[in-house]
Amino acid sequence: MSRGSGGGYDRHITIFSPEGRLFQVEYAFKAVKASGITSIGVRGKDSVCVVTQKKVPDKLLDQRSVTHLFPITKYLGLLATGMTADARTLVQQARNEAAEFRFRYGYEMPVDVLSKWIADKSQIYTQHAYMRPLGVVAMVLGIDDEYGPRLYKCDPAGHYFGHKATSAGLKEQEAINFLEKKMKNDPLLTYEETVQTAISALQSVLQEDFKATEIEVGVVRKENPIFRVLTTEEIDENLTAISERD
Amino acid sequence: MGDSQYSFSLTTFSPSGKLVQIEHALTAVGSGQTSLGIKAANGVVIATEKKLPSILVDESSVQKMQTLTPNIGVVYSGMGPDFRVLVRKSRKQAEQYHRLYKEPIPVTQLVRETAAVMQEFTQSGGVRPFGVSLLVAGFDDKGPQLYQVDPSGSYFSWKASAMGKNVSNAKTFLEKRYTDDMELDDAVHTAILTLKEGFEGQISSKNIEIGIIGADKKFRVLSPAEIDDYLAEVE
Repeated sequence: MSRGSGGGYDRHITIFSPEGRLFQVEYAFKAVKASGITSIGVRGKDSVCVVTQKKVPDKLLDQRSVTHLFPITKYLGLLATGMTADARTLVQQARNEAAEFRFRYGYEMPVDVLSKWIADKSQIYTQHAYMRPLGVVAMVLGIDDEYGPRLYKCDPAGHYFGHKATSAGLKEQEAINFLEKKMKNDPLLTYEETVQTAISALQSVLQEDFKATEIEVGVVRKENPIFRVLTTEEIDENLTAISERD
Repeated sequence: MGDSQYSFSLTTFSPSGKLVQIEHALTAVGSGQTSLGIKAANGVVIATEKKLPSILVDESSVQKMQTLTPNIGVVYSGMGPDFRVLVRKSRKQAEQYHRLYKEPIPVTQLVRETAAVMQEFTQSGGVRPFGVSLLVAGFDDKGPQLYQVDPSGSYFSWKASAMGKNVSNAKTFLEKRYTDDMELDDAVHTAILTLKEGFEGQISSKNIEIGIIGADKKFRVLSPAEIDDYLAEVE
């Protein structure tokens, strides 16, 4: 039977280390980076766009089954960066919770309420030894009735914040630096600008030009608040627009 | 609480009689952002730094100070996610009290019940202590009150207290400046000056939060405009 009171167990389950840190939570963040992909989310004046790499490791794989972008309800999307199996569990539970919310209260679950629920669940895994934290950073997007376009990011530690723009995954810090410069003066981006900022940020940070099949893009717009994954053609249009612009 | 495989406490005594997990939890609190509270003659003020990880974070989506009941507010130093759990449990306990007695819960009772929850997590199976210390500010029939609750579950009533990164400087500063007959406005100024002491960078209404409760017994978080006014007065 394992005993956990320091003595080396602070690295195995979520108890405090002598410096007051939770190693298991920190390792969960590392697991997110180990997935090897980077994701970016940008919030515009009346839309939100999320972009992630689509790496299909084997040509024999059915590409359509490789995705990190999940609709939770018709109006809420979730981009999960990190361990795919943990992501699917999270998405399944989030879909259940959002559907129950709609049934119980009679209106659609707002973005921040779903994000808080995800974050509170993640906090439980950081405090109870029987479950490890999930190796997933979740970006939740949607159009809120009162506040307009919203982008939230939830991490394995149980933190959740609203963002004007953010990133997760391998090149998270480089992407955030890039986005901080772009969003410094609080620009009010149109829908096209939002999508192109997100895609060009990813291209710049990874230093490669993408083909339309190598990225996934998800959007919500005020004029059409349904969460939508862009088709390959639409991604192509945006990529062309970006390369013509430069 | 917890799975049967973990029905033993993770917080156990060391040979010297210490509960090291609680000490580590206090270390986690000590590396959190500074927060403080001051009890005035006619009210209480609590304040905290609000440093966000990036300018990309929408600061209007973040509120560190929370209302537990209309006349009790709380702020923390330490781990934000743990704080959310305690806020939720405390609100529920306050509501259950009200349902039973048809009266608002007295500050001491709410503090005692919240502290009991924190103590449970130092003794129950399969869980770790909370990595937060709380400052609870309330105003009820017994007047203005300020309580600090630690990860161990112990709580004390304070005239003025601070926690987090800059705790020793802040407490020294408060000891010098505190007077028993302070008014709420003076207390707010003192709180701002205390925060300023250890503040890295430029203090502004966007990177601090202040909550007050006065004789009207209504806890509220000040708006950025009001904080700006106080900051101007302090300059």
